[in-house]
Amino acid sequence: MKKALLNFFERIEPDKEKQPFLHTLYDGFFTFAFTPNFTTKGGVHIRDGMDLKRTMVHVVLALQLCYLFGTWNIGHQHFAALGMYTGYLEALHLKIAYGLIKLIPIFVVTHVVGLGIEFYYAYKKGHGIEEGFLVSGALIPLIMPPDIPLWILAISVAFAVWIGKEAFGGTGMNVLNIALLSRVFIFFAYPTFISGDEVWIAGLEKVDTSYVSEAYGWGAGFFDWIFSGVGWSTFGEGGVPVVDGYSGATPLSLAFQGGWDNVTQAYSEGAMLWGTIPGSIGETSKPLIILGALFLILTGIASWRIMVSMIFGAATMALILNAWGATPFMEVPWYFQFYMGSFLFAMAFMATDPVTASSTSTGKWIYGFLIGFIGMIVRVMNPAYPEGWMLAILFMNVFAPLIDHYVLQANINRRMKRAKVAAVS
Amino acid sequence: MGEFFNIFIKAAFIENLVLAYFLGMCSYLAVSKTVNTAFGLGLAVIFVLGITMPINWVIQTYLLSEDGLFGTDLTFLRFIIFIAVIASMVQLVEMVVEKFSPSLYAALGIFLPLITVNCAILGGSLFMVSREYNFSESIAFGLGGGFGWFLAIIAIAAIREKIRYSNVPPALRGLGMAFILTGLMGIAFMSLMGIDPAAFASAAE
Repeated sequence: MKKALLNFFERIEPDKEKQPFLHTLYDGFFTFAFTPNFTTKGGVHIRDGMDLKRTMVHVVLALQLCYLFGTWNIGHQHFAALGMYTGYLEALHLKIAYGLIKLIPIFVVTHVVGLGIEFYYAYKKGHGIEEGFLVSGALIPLIMPPDIPLWILAISVAFAVWIGKEAFGGTGMNVLNIALLSRVFIFFAYPTFISGDEVWIAGLEKVDTSYVSEAYGWGAGFFDWIFSGVGWSTFGEGGVPVVDGYSGATPLSLAFQGGWDNVTQAYSEGAMLWGTIPGSIGETSKPLIILGALFLILTGIASWRIMVSMIFGAATMALILNAWGATPFMEVPWYFQFYMGSFLFAMAFMATDPVTASSTSTGKWIYGFLIGFIGMIVRVMNPAYPEGWMLAILFMNVFAPLIDHYVLQANINRRMKRAKVAAVS
Repeated sequence: MGEFFNIFIKAAFIENLVLAYFLGMCSYLAVSKTVNTAFGLGLAVIFVLGITMPINWVIQTYLLSEDGLFGTDLTFLRFIIFIAVIASMVQLVEMVVEKFSPSLYAALGIFLPLITVNCAILGGSLFMVSREYNFSESIAFGLGGGFGWFLAIIAIAAIREKIRYSNVPPALRGLGMAFILTGLMGIAFMSLMGIDPAAFASAAE
């Protein structure tokens, strides 16, 4: 099997001189399957199979549970809003099919745009394709609302990869987190598509059309054909109205209006924990995110220091706000703050990005703590933004090099002092 | 005291002079190559803003305004007098820096006297007038604005030190990168924009 794959790759290898762009592409995909066949010489090197590509793939693996759940949740939220199939396992096939109809275009557009730019620059600069975009490309669909227009998505991804990464010199050089940069771009450039109560549930404005293909998109006919063949329920004729009084508000906006009681009237604590609530595609299910986070910690990809200190920072600020208690949102008990919003997703996959976080151990504690602290301030006190982690992480990304600088300087000073003491005595 | 604190936080983080108003860009871009010089210039700006703001407030209220010492509206002299105050304060800073840290003085070079025409400082004084701060508020605004400027310049300096080893496209090296960075930092600083500390303070009472 391995031999056959290697043979296949050798057979299709394009000529490096004649077709440089094709060779760059080839090289990128070849190193997915095999580690490169050369070793570095001279100097000190880490001898380990764990290269950049392997590291990235681990993060993508950790995200798979979120993808699975997100796919189902898109469909579940959609049908729940219509008052159909409210049981969790009812019409599972329809929910997953609808999730795929929504998720696949987002995923494809993200990758075509992002990888396209990446491939082009790898070819232009004459280095191998770096897999930085694999992780960003896996993260971006998860932090988008399911109904995001694809052209906006394409612009935001292009902005993030171009300005946020390639301008800085490519993978591993970016200062701000690419996935968050693309989201923040939409957030400020097209705010109506990514905030408010209506955007978190897929396909609501189109459900009244009586043509199923218009309400459910390109795949519905195809899936209906399969499902009717097997004898399962189908998407039907469309034209089902939204349930009366359905708002689609997320727990955070409810909490902002009326505190914790207002939230629990709409969603049970269990639903918030397991994530059967409206939200960005991948951020709702807390246990699955925690599993992913544990996987990242065990494989040593993500820093547990950042995660722990971020929880600590958020809890500290929430306790301060509890004590202050000026608005209903501030009076939400601090432990319930973790039930709402995307805190865990940001903590597990965004803040721990090894490129943009602080790289010193002491720095990581400071960095994580301040993200938790500032994010909670933005979430609770800033009426303009419903959720704070995206902006708090970007804010601390800006300061991460500064934290590192002073941590390093303190280390140098301490050792200089020790050296001087030793020299004197 | 609460009001003092609110204005300080607001000036430093929420309405940052560099990253929200894009004032004081010239020295911000020119002196942000290393953290140490940026740190020195940042301190100088905190000092100059913190000192000139209350002095200018006194001048504005007791000399220039209509119910001031001269009894007539002299606000048309505002710009020139504010700049004169700022210039003299900068001279003071320059002498102190030259005396106590010749290396920093050499590193800052022309940009130390150029704080005089740093728009963040004149802009701060003009904001103070148009927002009708009182004396203690003007001190808070001066210190807060200076602190925000200080934070922004040391943050960008640390980033620029870091990206010195990056493979930045040749056309963007140096200032081009600094401009892009400033824009991205502006996005990051928008996280706190819109918070009104005063609203919560009054709600608590």
